[in-house]
Amino acid sequence: MSSHIVILLFVLTSINSFAQKGDLKGYVIEGDEVVFTFNRDDYSKVTHDGTGRQSDFEDLDIQNVVVAGNFNDWSKDQWKMTKIDENTYQLRKKLSDFADEFSWEFKYVINNELWAEPSRTYLNQGSAAKIGRRLQSYNLRLFTAFPDKKGNVRFRLRGFEDAKKVIVSGTFNRWNEELFRMYKIENGWEIILQLRPNEYEYRFIVDGHWMEDPTNPDKVVNEFGEYNSHINVKKQVTFSLQGFADAKEVVLAGSFNDWNEHDFQMQKNDYGVWTYSLPLSGGKHHYKFIVDGNWIVDPDNTVQEYDGIGHINSVYMVK
Amino acid sequence: MKPTNFFLLLLIVISSVSHAANPLDPIVFPKAEIINNYTTRIPFKLIDHLIVVEAELLGQKGNFIIDTGSETLILNKVHFKTFDPYYKKSKETSGVVNLIDNPLERQLKEFVIKNLTLTNTTSDVIDLSHIEKTKKMKLLGIIGYNILKDYEVFIDMYLNQITLSKVDAKGNTLDKNVYLEKITDSIDFTLKNHTIVLETYVNDTKLNFGLDTAAEYNQINKNSSRKVLKFFHPMRRLNLSGASGGTIEVLAGKLYRVKLSETIFFAPMETVLTNLNKMNEAFGTSLDGIMGYEFFKQKRTIINYQKEKLYFVNYPLIKE
Repeated sequence: MSSHIVILLFVLTSINSFAQKGDLKGYVIEGDEVVFTFNRDDYSKVTHDGTGRQSDFEDLDIQNVVVAGNFNDWSKDQWKMTKIDENTYQLRKKLSDFADEFSWEFKYVINNELWAEPSRTYLNQGSAAKIGRRLQSYNLRLFTAFPDKKGNVRFRLRGFEDAKKVIVSGTFNRWNEELFRMYKIENGWEIILQLRPNEYEYRFIVDGHWMEDPTNPDKVVNEFGEYNSHINVKKQVTFSLQGFADAKEVVLAGSFNDWNEHDFQMQKNDYGVWTYSLPLSGGKHHYKFIVDGNWIVDPDNTVQEYDGIGHINSVYMVK
Repeated sequence: MKPTNFFLLLLIVISSVSHAANPLDPIVFPKAEIINNYTTRIPFKLIDHLIVVEAELLGQKGNFIIDTGSETLILNKVHFKTFDPYYKKSKETSGVVNLIDNPLERQLKEFVIKNLTLTNTTSDVIDLSHIEKTKKMKLLGIIGYNILKDYEVFIDMYLNQITLSKVDAKGNTLDKNVYLEKITDSIDFTLKNHTIVLETYVNDTKLNFGLDTAAEYNQINKNSSRKVLKFFHPMRRLNLSGASGGTIEVLAGKLYRVKLSETIFFAPMETVLTNLNKMNEAFGTSLDGIMGYEFFKQKRTIINYQKEKLYFVNYPLIKE
């Protein structure tokens, strides 16, 4: 079977044309907010709290809907959702409200007593235990990486059109084997993730079979003697220098270009500020400006370090 | 929720002196920047809330956890099992979690960080596979107090690096130009055994908190006075899994009004309410709580063991 993959690294402008077709149900992440959305059509049954008896959704008179999960100790009344229309309720929470927890589970509670049961199996659905009882619940997982139609890295696997399930798994989600399920596109599979600037290793899992990315030549040997594909996600960074409007030439030099004294000629804008933009890898970068031949540190950056031979450099951190 | 393996920070070992001599085993940090003979900067990554550095030891590549809560260097038995049985001897270790059974003990005659050399370092060899499993990383070991104490240690959560600068017996750095950023404040601590103990105020009540780089969550003792717990606002229950695989349920929340002095104070700190009695045994001193990741996240901190002092460097104001 032939297959092709394209990886786009650091797609720096946002991609608006890709709808997220993933099956992460119940919530989406928009910017720095988690948006919980309850849609009546996604549910067929409710479980009664206390008795565990199940009944149908159809004739239910919904007074209110609450998000309950690990994050609020499964409270049935704290995180009340806002009614958007007849069948839809929504709640927005800041990502920071979830601290750095690795994964959360949640369910929707109707009228403070009925646990909504999802109609079908979704990607992020797991089983949850509450006070010793098994409950089916959505499993909201918050990684530093998450699927996002406006994300910065697109993973594509060409071919495998008969496959049932294709997953991308990697260091960005600690090799989780279920979470980032790719969706079908013409001639293959795709998912777009939002990843922080860093280096990552990843593989695809096609119907349980692990494989490297066949079109990414950048790969490293893993502990099984096979290959992990490797990507370096960068961030676009703009350096600027004020107060030298009269200078004839300003050059940016740093550890990122081996301190080349000519490569990165900065441009002066209308306000007399010199700027230069470039994509940088995650981590620490040393740099200086060369103003008409004189090396200077960035006067607006307090972060400085000595190098191995006693010189002082400015430091830029990409995280 | 994924259980969080936070008890690994409690892997404290009663040390004893071994006389087994081994050949020189250099530990190499491939990503370190060697500034001069005395100072090196090692980038770290955060795995959950653990500070982890890449290193090579005895031909193996992997990770070490930086852990001021550990008394010694600990090597992971999983990767270092080929030790001469002659050196194997029975030894009692105390950990909060009863999993550390008779570790092999070995002495690294010389423990070399590139051109930085540490001599006569005692290490323990313990099975750390549970941490490898929960954190999904290859863990060679844990770097503890007996390595760190010979250096001034700058734990910098802004630049994600640890700077080690060799000190003399009085704690003065041999390198006179280590930092360029301004030290904005400092505070004294007391060293009880290997544990950094800070007089800490919650509102106006004085408490003794241990400072532990490998504490993924701050912890405060359940038995603290009501005056203190008034400032602990519980938010949720967490299941934390201990190193032995068992889980305990703790109450997680935020601790408000924490300060070390009139000038050094903290934003509300993520904290869990735990029973610290066992932990006190491990740390060899009586503590009201432990501060870890949250502390370093809020303060770029320099530790000087000889001077028993912490120094602080401000986070820069970022222009984007």
